[in-house]
Amino acid sequence: MIELTDVTRTYGRKVAVDRLSMTIPPGELFAFLGPNGAGKTTTIKMIVGLLRPTSGAVRVCGHDTLSEPQEAARLLGYVPEEPFLYEKLSGREFLEFTGRMRGFSPAETTQRIARQTEAFVMADFVDTLVETYSHGMRQRLAFASAMLHDPAVLVVDEPTVALDPRSVRLLKDLLREKASGGTTVFVSTHTLALAEEIADRIGIVDCGRLAFLGTRDDARRQASSPEMSLERLFLDLTEGGNGRESSGGRLPARSEE
Amino acid sequence: MNAAGEEKGDRSNLPQRPEGCCAPIGPVPFFPDPFVARPPLLSPANEARVFWRMRTQMAATNVRQILSRSRLRLTLIVVLSVLLWAGMFWLFADGFTFLKTALPYAATYDRTIHAVFSMFFAALMVMLVFSSAILLYGALFRAEDVPLLLSMPARTERVFLHKSQEAILFSSWAFLLLGSPMLLAYGIIEGAPWYYYALLLPFLVAFIYVPAGIGAAICLLVMRWMPRHRNHVLVLAVAAVLAAAAWISWSLASGPRGTLLTPMWFQQVLSRARFSQQQLLPSWWLSTGLLEAARGEWDQGVLFLCLLVANALMFRQLSIWIAGRVYRKTYDQLQGKDSRARATRPSRLDGAILRLVPLPLEMRLLLVKDFRLFRRDPVQWSQFLVFFALLALYFLNIRRFGSNMYQVGWVNIVSFLNVSVVGLILSTLTTRFIFPMMSLEGRRFWMLGLLPVRRERILWSKFCFAVGGTLVPCSLLVLFSDTMLGVPLFVVASHQLTCVLLSVGLSGIAVGLGAKMPNLKDQSPARIAAGFGGTLNLVTSALYILAVVALTALPCHSYFLAHHSFASALVATRPDLARWLNLWLVLGTLGTSQIWPAAEPDRASR
Repeated sequence: MIELTDVTRTYGRKVAVDRLSMTIPPGELFAFLGPNGAGKTTTIKMIVGLLRPTSGAVRVCGHDTLSEPQEAARLLGYVPEEPFLYEKLSGREFLEFTGRMRGFSPAETTQRIARQTEAFVMADFVDTLVETYSHGMRQRLAFASAMLHDPAVLVVDEPTVALDPRSVRLLKDLLREKASGGTTVFVSTHTLALAEEIADRIGIVDCGRLAFLGTRDDARRQASSPEMSLERLFLDLTEGGNGRESSGGRLPARSEE
Repeated sequence: MNAAGEEKGDRSNLPQRPEGCCAPIGPVPFFPDPFVARPPLLSPANEARVFWRMRTQMAATNVRQILSRSRLRLTLIVVLSVLLWAGMFWLFADGFTFLKTALPYAATYDRTIHAVFSMFFAALMVMLVFSSAILLYGALFRAEDVPLLLSMPARTERVFLHKSQEAILFSSWAFLLLGSPMLLAYGIIEGAPWYYYALLLPFLVAFIYVPAGIGAAICLLVMRWMPRHRNHVLVLAVAAVLAAAAWISWSLASGPRGTLLTPMWFQQVLSRARFSQQQLLPSWWLSTGLLEAARGEWDQGVLFLCLLVANALMFRQLSIWIAGRVYRKTYDQLQGKDSRARATRPSRLDGAILRLVPLPLEMRLLLVKDFRLFRRDPVQWSQFLVFFALLALYFLNIRRFGSNMYQVGWVNIVSFLNVSVVGLILSTLTTRFIFPMMSLEGRRFWMLGLLPVRRERILWSKFCFAVGGTLVPCSLLVLFSDTMLGVPLFVVASHQLTCVLLSVGLSGIAVGLGAKMPNLKDQSPARIAAGFGGTLNLVTSALYILAVVALTALPCHSYFLAHHSFASALVATRPDLARWLNLWLVLGTLGTSQIWPAAEPDRASR
């Protein structure tokens, strides 16, 4: 479970995230949408403990990411937009490192690596150096690493960038399966179709503030027309958002938890 | 396939999968319940083992790759390092032997050696504090793997230790390379007992940890409390150290002419170098401990070693303690700082290049673009400023070797050696900055390649940029050296001509080889320069410098010999020498005229 309570994050005078409050329960696949610079990545970095909120609190399964970063990190799996992988390690060595860091014994780490290798179809390249991997291979390794310990919370930033259609399909199934298994899945994306297809709930953030929070049905009810697409709603809610972020303009929140 | 349903139990309270959502088409991972009991957090010792294992795996891969792919580079590095080490060992051994003969009194000799050791290690300690702080800043706040490590359940202190080990290694290898020949030469000249050699490594390692710990603490505290002023702090600190170094060298070298290297001069130097003999300085503990061990006082040696080890551990613990409290906060703080927009202003210099440089417009535009990229990356060029400042400092002090004191021929040799040193530094500059330019353009070629510009012009613009950037510092430094040495005007003119040849040739080699052997994979200029092409560029440049300096220096030197009494007499009795001199003049002219066109970038562009 992820809980954000009145979370604000500023960069100097710029408010990147403004009094954001939401709770994502176990087993939910939550899609976080917003224009560029709306505060999506800042929110994600606060959830995974890389950034500290200026005010408010972020809890992962009850653990405050500020005061208990290790406990929170133990339960988290994180796939950033451009995941860093050690170039001079093989995929297996990288997974061994993450597995052992998570406290698994060598035997259990090996078992888990075997399972992930099969799941992400990595057998052909898991023993070669990461520096030789294509983008898709790197992405698969990053997912395998994030899921090696069966995290209670999986946070994914822009997962479909530069992936081929087959890999996108696999990814959608995988995220959906994770959520169905009880994991909290938090996905930040620009791909509205992805959110529309797999998300249980959708959050739209603009200028650091939550402009919409609800299910697809809520979105339809929110819109003027029942046939209105998520794209139309997104554009309505975030109209001119890219230009307004620097002037500090804010939209009123249209949906509360 | 998906066996998840067997273990998941009742999930009626979980959100339902949306209608018509994603029928699986590929293998889907099996995930057990995420809320099962998880293994506890690793103990600090196990955490250290996991990090250490990762480091050794990466190091082993690097070694394997270097041995299989970069044999030429490795051989060059090993051979040059061995030569450098042997050269320094010989110099130190000769220096210690000279001191023994120049200082007949044992007490003066001992005090001088102690002063030399203390000064040497005090200077290296200051450098180690700087280098470890700067390297640690990059490792802790700029490295790409930091987000990964900080998002893992690892202790903050462990991440800091992992990164500081890297910084210590990279900052201290040069210290070992410089310190070991001096200490071994001293031991051999003094006939030190075996335990002196056994204590060397523990002493050096313990000593390294002291400035490394201080540097780490300074880095963390500056970044925590003065993140916006970090560059100012660095510039002020470097300026203070350079000013102190200038003052020290000035005061050590000052004094009446004619007293250099005499026992009286040594006495004066000793009294002026007293600041390095402060007993609270770790460099003093190191030098005292080693000198005691060399004299057979092993217990005193071990005592000072214990003192150093205790302090090394204390500074290590202090830096870990600070890191545990401030690292995450500082990292978080810097994330915000980096996102602020930096406005650029039009520069008059750019305008002047665009208006005044007599080149086609497209080349001027490319020149301005390259100049902007270069000056907006101070991390890259600031180290060369330090190099040039140190070189200027050295030239400032060679006035002591003016032509009034020593043979004219000797001064002439020193002046040409100075030209060679400037050339060698220039060659590292062209290898580091000019050679990677074409490789870095490779990724932007979608833009440059589609412009209505002939490819040759792109290369010529790089060449002009390189010549403009290298000629000015090269000529100024050499002019400064010549002024300090007081060499005749025609030698000054000859040196300036050599500078032009060096600048044009080295730029041509770097641009040409950079275009011939581009590395389109790496985005880091440092990594591109460290590859095979960069190594070849460095070696070719060194050979070119050797050829140019030899072909200009030898005729000049021969001229001097011929115009002074001793040499004139020699030439009068040996007519074959005159023929040799003529041959050198012809070869010099021909050689330089052949080398220059060989480095022209037009050939490389084809």
